[in-house]
Amino acid sequence: MTKSIHLTLAAVGVLAVAACASGSGGNGGGSSSGPVGVVQIAAYSGDQAFEAQFSASIDYPALYAVNHGGGVLGRQVSLIQVDTRSDPADALAAMGKTLATTGNVAAVLGPDSTSAATLVPLLNTRHLPMMIAAGEAAYDRSSYAYLWRDVPPDPANGEAIALWAKRQGYTSVATVFGTDTGSQGDLPGVLTGVKAVGVRLADQENLTPDQPSYRSSVERLLAAKPQAVITESDGPTAATFFGELRQLGSLLPIIGTSGTPSDSYFSPLRGAIGDAAFGTYFRAVVVGNPVSNPAVAAFNADVLAVQGKLSKPVSQWENNSFSESGYDAMITLALAMDAAHSTDGTAYNNDIMAVTAPAAGKEIVYTYAAGRAALAAGHKIQYIGASGPLLFDKYHNSFGSQAVEKFPANAPAVVVGTITQAQVQALNG
Amino acid sequence: MSFYASTLIVYFFVDVLLAWALNLQFGWGGIPNFALIMFQAAGAYAAAVVSLGPDTGVNSFQRYVFGASLPFPLPLVIAALTGGLLAAVAGSFSLRRMRRDYQAAILLIVSLIAIQVVSNAVGLLNGSNGLTGVPRPLSGLLSGLTYDGYQWVYAAWAGAIALAVYLLVARLGRSTWGRALRAVRDDEDAAATIGLNPLGLRMQAFVLGGVIAGLSGGLLVEFLAAWSPAAWGYAETFAVFTAIILGGVGNIWGVALGTLLVQVIFLQVPTFLPQVGYTGLIDALQWVLIGTLWLVCLAIRPRGLIPARRYHAVPPAPGPGTGNPR
Amino acid sequence: MLILQALGFGVVSAALIAIGAMGFTLQFGLTNVLNISYGGVMTVGAFAAFGAGELHLPMALEVAAAPLAAALLTWLLGRTLFAFYARRGAGVFEMVMVTLAVSLILQYGIDAASGEQIYRFSFPQGASLHAGVFTFTVTQLVLVALALAVFGGLEFLLRRTRLGKALRAMAVEPRLARTCGIPTGKIVNVVWLLSGALAGLAGLGYVINSLTIDASVGTGFLPLVLAAAILGRAGSTRGAVLAALLLGLVTEEVAAAGGAEYSTVAGFGILAIVLLTRPAALAGQATAKAEITV
Repeated sequence: MTKSIHLTLAAVGVLAVAACASGSGGNGGGSSSGPVGVVQIAAYSGDQAFEAQFSASIDYPALYAVNHGGGVLGRQVSLIQVDTRSDPADALAAMGKTLATTGNVAAVLGPDSTSAATLVPLLNTRHLPMMIAAGEAAYDRSSYAYLWRDVPPDPANGEAIALWAKRQGYTSVATVFGTDTGSQGDLPGVLTGVKAVGVRLADQENLTPDQPSYRSSVERLLAAKPQAVITESDGPTAATFFGELRQLGSLLPIIGTSGTPSDSYFSPLRGAIGDAAFGTYFRAVVVGNPVSNPAVAAFNADVLAVQGKLSKPVSQWENNSFSESGYDAMITLALAMDAAHSTDGTAYNNDIMAVTAPAAGKEIVYTYAAGRAALAAGHKIQYIGASGPLLFDKYHNSFGSQAVEKFPANAPAVVVGTITQAQVQALNG
Repeated sequence: MSFYASTLIVYFFVDVLLAWALNLQFGWGGIPNFALIMFQAAGAYAAAVVSLGPDTGVNSFQRYVFGASLPFPLPLVIAALTGGLLAAVAGSFSLRRMRRDYQAAILLIVSLIAIQVVSNAVGLLNGSNGLTGVPRPLSGLLSGLTYDGYQWVYAAWAGAIALAVYLLVARLGRSTWGRALRAVRDDEDAAATIGLNPLGLRMQAFVLGGVIAGLSGGLLVEFLAAWSPAAWGYAETFAVFTAIILGGVGNIWGVALGTLLVQVIFLQVPTFLPQVGYTGLIDALQWVLIGTLWLVCLAIRPRGLIPARRYHAVPPAPGPGTGNPR
Repeated sequence: MLILQALGFGVVSAALIAIGAMGFTLQFGLTNVLNISYGGVMTVGAFAAFGAGELHLPMALEVAAAPLAAALLTWLLGRTLFAFYARRGAGVFEMVMVTLAVSLILQYGIDAASGEQIYRFSFPQGASLHAGVFTFTVTQLVLVALALAVFGGLEFLLRRTRLGKALRAMAVEPRLARTCGIPTGKIVNVVWLLSGALAGLAGLGYVINSLTIDASVGTGFLPLVLAAAILGRAGSTRGAVLAALLLGLVTEEVAAAGGAEYSTVAGFGILAIVLLTRPAALAGQATAKAEITV
């Protein structure tokens, strides 16, 4: 018994010494020289490891833009990756360790849906401005001063899809959603939206991911005779389901949510139903900028500049609205720091709104370099990003219009329709 | 730094509770409970759904049953009871006398079924997205504290619960009941011959272990404010098994030491290593490391670092009315 | 109508489960090792075929790669790792722990090596054939035929050849078999190789049907295979096939009846019901003292 107590105490002592020895314990942009740290919180391992490639498509182009545009206050920005391991407990430990051992954290990209509930209060207390990637409607009316969101909440995308379906003249639709995390997020919005626009919901299929066959679900769907299918799931599930649908000779219009455009979804699905059918039947309603502006060109150029660090094929990231939103978020944070002449969240948090809100007399900029130069010259700026203008409301939420896109083979996406923020909000009454 | 330390300390106490639960079921009871993590999850979900308010129906952003907004400490009590209840149900068909490898396989399958049910029945516990926004206990009352201050209060609270459970478990270990349980584990036939009830004893150990595991789940979810199926995959049970095998099966202190070494040190130290390969590679390899550690332990020190102590019968004190030979 | 059609889908699922379950039960029946790493071996087989495909090897090689790689791996594990612990006196339960550790190492090792991604597995599916109310692709029919061929082959092996008789004798009384001059070491080798090959085939069949592959395919598929083997009684290939058929049909019927999310759960539910109501069905095998033969 005595021996084990000694062993335990020794072990605790070792841990304490190791932990103390490895960090200065600072937090929140306290240092004033050396690189500026931006934390990216995402799942780099575990069930949601697919987040890693999306994060890469945001971080590296944005970092490139900022660092090659002169850096923040003359300092380079460095990326600090925090792995949630797809689990809130691991996310908390990893964030804690990062805050304990890294003294120059100035801003946070994230948290994601898995870790938001656990990490948002912590980061807010630390006065670390965060651009969250969590779509939960809970943050629509957030009271956290340091929380910002430039992607629409999950329900908004679903409602836009319903509006598009109505616009196309469909009177009955079916939903096909995977039961995995990430696919279910949009479903409540779709259901509310479909009901609100008066389209009939003929069938609802919930698919357990990665089964070898969904024949029964496919047959049931066809028996309900919908005119279109609204869907989100992971790639393999979609490939199996729609592949079987095609085998029966019964493909019909498919509307994917904003979570669908990515190679990991398109590639299996294209393989299963063929490129021609994919171009004809598949549409996705994506959040983001349907109009080309100089920021989009800058984004695409930056993506190509860092393509060595991104998942192949690189073309999936060009014009990718989710990546564009994250890219804009990082650039906004950097511009806010420049405007406030500080990397301390307490000082620059309010400048986030200041550099993005439209007002008379402001200089409009589309790239980091231009914005930094304008600020240095003493002008007030409005940054318009690759995902469009960032119009943060009083709850620090901004979401713009959503685009309906089709995807011909070997060609970039083509926008075939737009649904505005106003139209979506009208649905909510 | 203080935040990181207090987080790890809370995790340590939560994991130690889980380890003591498994020690009770497996170390003393001989039940290879590969569904252990399911009981922690049951407790976590129970605490979550009774502390959250009611969901707002089919279109709310998270859907779940109950939703009763109960105040502290009721959710913890309910968490513990739920763990015990689930153990009673699972025990009703998996504790019969059977080969231990079958028993292990069946319990493993039960935990896999549970994950499938919870992930797919979205209305039950919000499916694979899990529950979020679980209120932290007494956050209103303790709102004067800083964020870090609250963490330390929570760590002390977790420690108090761990102490209480320790006292309970230590006493049980020394008691007649504990000896009877270990007798059944060692030789069921002989134990039955002297009048012990193997099935009953195993069920009691299993349910009590379920209660402690449920309690640890409630404690954890109130700290994290969120819970999802990702937190209770079948691999999580292995980490607890590794902790108790390394530390010493059957010994309360050994098991605690094993938990410290595995759950805290072994799983946190790699995060300090410089990044090798792609981000997430080292994290993915941690389970490979756990498996290897297991194999090494089984080969070299199957009894663990601190082997099970021998509990000696304490002779009754001399005096009137103590003629009872037991 | 859908309920009827689901019988067809069920047969295909059953074929996949059956191949895996026959391999598992063969191994388990002889060695008494409840080998949880069988799932990881299935994944290795599937990845071997995937790798061959990525290298643009001819299809015959791609298909052969799965059982070959899996057989080799199983044989290696059996002769080195499992034999090591068995020699040190491991009982049935300790062996389960060993196989669990190996399962973790295999699954997460592959996960790490494959970059934790899900990959597309392309394989020709052939035309869709309609027979009355049923629809099958050519590949699906080939899988069913394969399962039947495996069953036929094993039945022949076990009942008509000397090797098979020796195997069955060993499964019942290993020590006596040794004394009678049966080459137990060789037979164990054969069983590792054969059951490993079946694991590889099962894994390959699974990804051919689902068209995608990642590190968790084997461990995800294993519970149904395990359930079929336990239900069908250890060592009995006939039992494994019947149990696989039952599980395959039940899962598809439940999906057809509207509970697609619960189809696999329903399969396990059968196992749970059997355990609850007829423990005697498993008692014969479940309570017997068993020793490890590796």
